[in-house]
Amino acid sequence: MQLSVLTDNLPYLLWGAYPDGPLGGAALTVLLSLGSALASAALGLLLGIALSMSRGLLNFMLTAVIGFFRAIPVPMLIFWTYFLLPVVFHVDVPGVLSVMCALALIGGAYLAHSVHAGISGIGAGQWSAGLSLGMTRVAVLQHIVLPQALQMMLPSFVNQWVTLIKDSSLAYIVGVGELSFVAAQVNSRVMIYPAEIFMFIGLIYFLLCSGLGWFAHWVAGYFRPAQDGRLRQATTT
Amino acid sequence: MSEFQSLLGQALAPKYLGWLVDGLWMTLHVSAVVALLSTLLGIMIAAARSSERRWLTLPAAVFLAVFRNTPLLVQLFFWYFGISSLMPEDSTEWLNTVHSLALGRYLTLSWPSFELLCAIVGLSLYSAAYVSEEIRAGMRGVAAAQQLAGAALGLTRWQVLRYVVLPQALRIALPPLLGQYMNIVKNTSLTMAIGLAELSYTSRQVEAQTFKTFQAFGVATLFYVAVIAVLEMLGQLLQRRRRLAMTGSARR
Repeated sequence: MQLSVLTDNLPYLLWGAYPDGPLGGAALTVLLSLGSALASAALGLLLGIALSMSRGLLNFMLTAVIGFFRAIPVPMLIFWTYFLLPVVFHVDVPGVLSVMCALALIGGAYLAHSVHAGISGIGAGQWSAGLSLGMTRVAVLQHIVLPQALQMMLPSFVNQWVTLIKDSSLAYIVGVGELSFVAAQVNSRVMIYPAEIFMFIGLIYFLLCSGLGWFAHWVAGYFRPAQDGRLRQATTT
Repeated sequence: MSEFQSLLGQALAPKYLGWLVDGLWMTLHVSAVVALLSTLLGIMIAAARSSERRWLTLPAAVFLAVFRNTPLLVQLFFWYFGISSLMPEDSTEWLNTVHSLALGRYLTLSWPSFELLCAIVGLSLYSAAYVSEEIRAGMRGVAAAQQLAGAALGLTRWQVLRYVVLPQALRIALPPLLGQYMNIVKNTSLTMAIGLAELSYTSRQVEAQTFKTFQAFGVATLFYVAVIAVLEMLGQLLQRRRRLAMTGSARR
């Protein structure tokens, strides 16, 4: 084990050439993951609701589009966005943004199905009760169904975000300077100690991914006792 | 719009289409081997995880945490660049040279290239972490009374697992397992980063040679969608057959 290769390159691995150059390394990985996590959550929620509320041809088309994004590998979609976005919009799209776009589309497609499943998991009685109170379908969805469904869906959102952090490493293939890319750069520059470099990188990813998992677990636990208390109160009074 | 038209322009020459087909062939090949290996390894991990001995459950839990919480790409880099630096020098030389194993007179198994070897090892270990979770879920779906019944018949723990629990667990776990096999097919695309000439790698190569971005990635995407669709249909077919079998046995 030779750790000097890590200490020598630590700043470069953590934030790239910043502030003299563009931000890179682990910092860019975090930024890339955050951006695509938010975008995929929004997209997944939107598509999932559309999937549950639509019927007939629209529903079929939505299912087909979502199925398509679930069927193709992430690198393939990154190629598509990386090469086609600039052509379609006639502007120079930065690599980071095109990768974010690809990750958000795939993450959104996966989340759409869990949102749809969460909404279907809410009993039909809840819908009937809301409608009988004179609420519109949208109001029932917003005030009654979604709050319950989202709570059930929290684990699948966290799973998808962990996957996103891992998939952000694929920005490597179009030369975006995130953690995996700078690691490969350092590796090809020094040529020795590749095991140390990639194990260290793996450790950073491990901390990011399992950190998110622990945080989500803590959040879920933080909310659970309060809810149980409220339930108990409601049943005793 | 003219750029867009030039993108849609002419079809790929047969030569380049041939490259893509070769890439698809490699993707299917690797996927099949990885699916088999990760299932075998997954069964072992699932068995270790559900054992009562701590020296078995702990390493299995650590394995799962490490392999699920780090990117596959970094794992592939580790195997490709890292492992040879950790091994004694002669062994890497041995791995890199071509060997062939003659089985009988006609069949020879040629030694895989170092990229292929790393791809198979990396993908199998990564996928095994996911496959084992599906198998473990399947094992939990087998009623506990089955294990007791097996033990009452005098079977050892291993025999109960081998003859009673696993056959049922695998049948329960088949639909999610097919989902994992789809993931394996998609994940093979990451091996392009270590230079394995599979479908994504060849599509990138065709794109670089012909500048026909739309056609190169279009054909590759179609190939991927077709493979996933076949697996999906297989899953539907199996589930329908099982539903028929279940209602059939209920009627009897």
